[in-house]
Amino acid sequence: MYMQTCVMGLLLVALLPVLFSIADAVDRSNFKTCDQSAFCKRQRDVKPGQSPYRALLETMELSEARLTLQLINDNNKVRLLLELYRLQGNMTRVRINELKPLRPRYEVPDVLIQEPPTESLLLLERDEHGMVLSLGVDDQRLIINARPFRLDIMDGPKVLLSLNSRGLLVFEHLRLRKDTISHKISSTVGSMWDKIKSVFSSKTEADAEGVENDVEQNEAEKVEEVEEVTEEEEQPGMWEETFKSHSDAKPSGPSSISLDFSFPGVDHVYGIPEHADSLKLRTTDGGEPYRLYNLDVFQYELYNPMALYGAVPVLLSHTAERTMGLFWLNAAETWVDISSSRAVQGGGDAPQTDVRWISESGIIDVFIMLGPRPTDVISQYASLTGTQSFPPLSALAYHQCRWNYNDQEDVQAVDNGFDEYDIPYDFIWLDIEHTDGKRYFTWDPNKFSQPREMLQNLKDKKRKMVTIVDPHIKVDSSYKIHKEIRSKDFYIKNKDGGDYEGWCWPGNAGYPDFTNPEMRAWWATMFAYDQYEGTMDNLYTWNDMNEPSVFNGPEVTMHKDALHGGWEHRDVHNLYGFYVQMATAQGLIQRSGGVERPFVLTRAFFAGSQRYGAVWTGDNAAEWGHLKMSIPMCLSLGLVGISFCGADVGGFFKTPSPELLVRWYQAGAYQPFFRAHAHLDTPRREPWLFGPENTALIREAVRQRYTLLPYWYQLFYNAHRTGQPVMRPLWLEYPGDPATFAIEDEFLLGKDLLVHPVTDEGSHGVTAFLPGEGEVWYDVHTYKKHQGNLNLYIPVTMNSIPVFQRGGSIITRKERVRRSSSCMEDDPYTLYVAVNAQGTAEGELYIDDGHTFNYEKQNQFIHRRLTFTEGSLSSSNLSPDSQFSTASWVEKVIFIGVPKPSAATLRTADGAESPLEFEFDPASELLALRKPGVNAGADWTIHLR
Amino acid sequence: MHFHIAVAVIIWAALFVESRKIRGISISYKRFYKERKSFLCIDGSKLIPFEQVNDDYCDCADGSDEPGTAACPSGRFYCTNLGFRPHYIQSSRVNDGICDCCDGSDEYSSPALCQKTCRNLGQQERAELEERMRMLSEGLLMKRQLVEEGADVWREKQAELTDLQKVAEDLQVRLEYLRRRKSDAGAQKEKALTAAQHPTGQEGLRSQIRAELPLDDHGQSLQDTDRLGDKDEGVEPRTDSAAPREESPNEAEVRGGDPSEDDPDVKAAVEAAESAVSDLNKAEEAHQRLQMEIRELEERLAIDYGPEREFLFLLGRCFQITAYEYSYTLCPFNQVTQKSQMGTEVLLGKWDAWDGPPEDLYGVMKYDRGEPCWQGPTRSTHVQLVCGTDSTLRWVKEPSKCHYAMELQTPAACQPQQPSRRGVHNEL
Repeated sequence: MYMQTCVMGLLLVALLPVLFSIADAVDRSNFKTCDQSAFCKRQRDVKPGQSPYRALLETMELSEARLTLQLINDNNKVRLLLELYRLQGNMTRVRINELKPLRPRYEVPDVLIQEPPTESLLLLERDEHGMVLSLGVDDQRLIINARPFRLDIMDGPKVLLSLNSRGLLVFEHLRLRKDTISHKISSTVGSMWDKIKSVFSSKTEADAEGVENDVEQNEAEKVEEVEEVTEEEEQPGMWEETFKSHSDAKPSGPSSISLDFSFPGVDHVYGIPEHADSLKLRTTDGGEPYRLYNLDVFQYELYNPMALYGAVPVLLSHTAERTMGLFWLNAAETWVDISSSRAVQGGGDAPQTDVRWISESGIIDVFIMLGPRPTDVISQYASLTGTQSFPPLSALAYHQCRWNYNDQEDVQAVDNGFDEYDIPYDFIWLDIEHTDGKRYFTWDPNKFSQPREMLQNLKDKKRKMVTIVDPHIKVDSSYKIHKEIRSKDFYIKNKDGGDYEGWCWPGNAGYPDFTNPEMRAWWATMFAYDQYEGTMDNLYTWNDMNEPSVFNGPEVTMHKDALHGGWEHRDVHNLYGFYVQMATAQGLIQRSGGVERPFVLTRAFFAGSQRYGAVWTGDNAAEWGHLKMSIPMCLSLGLVGISFCGADVGGFFKTPSPELLVRWYQAGAYQPFFRAHAHLDTPRREPWLFGPENTALIREAVRQRYTLLPYWYQLFYNAHRTGQPVMRPLWLEYPGDPATFAIEDEFLLGKDLLVHPVTDEGSHGVTAFLPGEGEVWYDVHTYKKHQGNLNLYIPVTMNSIPVFQRGGSIITRKERVRRSSSCMEDDPYTLYVAVNAQGTAEGELYIDDGHTFNYEKQNQFIHRRLTFTEGSLSSSNLSPDSQFSTASWVEKVIFIGVPKPSAATLRTADGAESPLEFEFDPASELLALRKPGVNAGADWTIHLR
Repeated sequence: MHFHIAVAVIIWAALFVESRKIRGISISYKRFYKERKSFLCIDGSKLIPFEQVNDDYCDCADGSDEPGTAACPSGRFYCTNLGFRPHYIQSSRVNDGICDCCDGSDEYSSPALCQKTCRNLGQQERAELEERMRMLSEGLLMKRQLVEEGADVWREKQAELTDLQKVAEDLQVRLEYLRRRKSDAGAQKEKALTAAQHPTGQEGLRSQIRAELPLDDHGQSLQDTDRLGDKDEGVEPRTDSAAPREESPNEAEVRGGDPSEDDPDVKAAVEAAESAVSDLNKAEEAHQRLQMEIRELEERLAIDYGPEREFLFLLGRCFQITAYEYSYTLCPFNQVTQKSQMGTEVLLGKWDAWDGPPEDLYGVMKYDRGEPCWQGPTRSTHVQLVCGTDSTLRWVKEPSKCHYAMELQTPAACQPQQPSRRGVHNEL
């Protein structure tokens, strides 16, 4: 939302120098460069080509699906344990941890939806240099090279991917501090070990024996290590680090990890959001690496690898032949270096992309998704972290937000404005000012004294509301939420063991420990109607500031040495926002007794966040560049599973010109999460405030969104079932065409709609690439037909939104746009059948109640396949096991690109045939069938003759 | 009562029985929907079978074939609203589960259970209308009075201005004299000083100096100074300075006082020069003050107080309203301020201009150039004026940060009723 403006004078004075030293661009000095982040600098200083790691082949153990092997660092003799798994669905998992870490190292929980099912590994060959394992599929093999340690994944003679081929595996082992103070501490730790040991030995003989042996073995090896380990040189920042005025105590010392991956033949890599940068990742040679560290960045810059609000450590590689992915499961601060080179391979000059991951703590746990098609990689990743949650239908409609709608009267006036100007909307949003002094779960007693009445008024118009609930909790002994969290000891602790406190909107605030499952369970109960007073079932939730944002913390976030139970904040940082949204979504589910689907918007996210709701691209600005950037940002998120993405329409900071506002509505209407939002300091910008012409343009854009809601809903259902993104880069559907690989000014919705928003001021035309040799595309407004695989110049006026329907597709619309999506529930459908060169088309129709889990729990839905072939359009059941009845019927069928028929007949399931009236426009080959009138859930066929 | 309604319904039903199919049209449109074989879209674009009127499928581009359903995107539905005002709603509001017509006729095929509220609404509206009319006529009477008062005030202000301008002219003359006197006295002082430095044979010069000394009267009024001027320089005597002449102690001293051990002539010359400067300064200050007063008055008189100066009475008055933790004060044609409970006062705008739309320019006042907002614009306030029988602030809001809006109710805003737009609107 915002890193700006007043909370209270005191706070302002305290923060002014930090937050506002530059008025209208990010203050980079608030955020670390790699050089300023000690572990990143240490790691990046390691040069390639001198890997000290060697695989101890004799330690190899192979069970059915798991191979383990020790690695040794020949410089310091520290041993690592490598685990290899072959996973179902053509994936390989590589885990590397210390063989005997001084203390356990953090392993990310709760992100994988299950322990990934494995498949058997087969040892094919073995000699003193290494071994070869079969990866089952085709000719795919995994080669382990012993000295230096290196892994290669091969497909036949071709190397798909190599690990540590540049020798950048660096695993900083946990160690004791050398100076006297830490010796004292370590001797305490040592004696604790003795105690633990003695506890074990006092157990029954049988139990103790095994443990004893283990412990003894440990001890023995420790001694051995102590003898072997050559002390490494201390480097600055290993045991303490200071950034600006903030110091990080680092009691555990250095713990970072790094590994390199090489993709021979690859020129295009994507993913690792969130960055305000191009879709295709750029080389970071000579510049900053891409950074993954959830941060509240005030007025972020475009085309910049700086960290933003969310982090998904997933990278995709793509060539015309194969798509692959890497999922680096680590929640600590992470930097990713990308370099591309051209290598001589097989006599030719071939590209290569090298990727290097660096994380501050935890272990190496990486999933290699081997594709081969883009959709395979996406399915593979979805099988690990789950798919997009299926939102209530209304959440796909239009959202009206502003910081802030001032009071109930204001809410009502805005609500009435939409009716007066005949613009549909489903959700009105309340930002932080609606609370009683920034105490979330409360209402301002003056401005929102009757929240139920307000919600009921909205409900009477079938509309809904979202209130903001942030995770920072005002430290105030009379505030119920704070009191309970404190009494249950649920707050994150500072390094000295007291409750961690930082500044945020309410002033001094505590931060609940969302990594604690008990805390999350308690938080969820706070959304019950009797706990969150004044709420009703049409109220949903927005989690902001959950990076977490700490105004007076290092880099505007939490100190890394803060404690979440036994773990440091350093270990879990990028997970915090993920857990906040998880617990909130759980709360919304629980309050309805598990019946209703939740809707929760979050700003911070991690891998797996797609399971809990929507994300938006944070505090953007009312600038053309930000409008443009909304496309690659949401495309990148879609590639890593997060389909429900949007940018603040109009731009959050600053004031858009009417032209920019209109263009943003037009673009936003075709992006998954469609919400207008505005900063407190900006003038009002409800859609009717810019004169009748602009109002009409905005109305038209929003209406286009509403007519397409059936298609959006079906896309989200599909995303929920398969993980395939709703908003797709062109290369995903046309993976063999290199012309699509870097396109980021247009996108596909599903595979059937291509959208090229106008994102330039004063534009008179755009050039859209219509992909696919042999494909045809139809302008959805003029029905004009265009051949695929060409660049098309499209002249535009202010009301143009260039959108094309793919020939060969059937898209369902509801053309009776009403006040809100719920008002349209029983309305009839119009089918748009756009034929391809072969004269065929197909599509789907999905219908359920739009808001409950009954589709899942009771199979209550309709899922139909629509096919048009040889002059017959028919609707058939895709899911015979499900049941649902709808009042909706088929109002009209529009065929695009067909010759004029002599007759059209409808044949219903009972065999009855009736003629259908139609109109035909020869100029655009447009055929409109009048009122088939069949129920949308029924079997039927229409024959054209 | 119920009986009456029943009868009314039966009569109504009987009247309209022939076109019962045609839902959603007004009587004036009935002629387009005469039951025939076919129906011509009202825009003439298409001829369709009559069965296709209101068959829940949109055939006509103008939506005229579906006045009673939601089928046409640009269609409209006529709520008869017996007992209240009939009106049109968008077709999209037919059977959407939300009651829009007070007779419930828009939800004829929806699960919504609509209360029939037309009678109540009608009564309410009539009562409100009566109240509005009463208020309007009362308001207009009061406005008449205000206009008259305004005219008086205007005349008074004009007279005040004339007076001030006259005084200013006189003062201007006086200033010229004083400037001259100052330069003369300065010259005398120089002479006396020179004489004192050459004690022999200068008596004649000294007495000359003494004789020429302008006489001083510290702290005397303008008129007094004038009188001194009259005597010494023979300036045109002022007609209004008829007060009897008094001798000031200083005069006595200068003339009859014992010369001090220093040269008395020099002392007198210096004192005279000083007093000339001081007099001039005072007169200049007075002149500046007067000019300022004149400017202010001229500015006020230059303000547009409405076609009949009906808003003039608001000048010099202030109105207060409290909203949440702040109290707001509007001083029309001057400024708007906001005061917090802690007592800090912030300027929300200074009078700028009338800012209503061309057809109602005097409907909105604009105050701008208030205190700048931190990281934001300078504060401004728009005041909407509405007709009422007293002058009071009705509400205040801050729709965007630092942009305030308030409503001032006042008889001055009452307008004689326009030929009304009441009743059915939006007919083709």
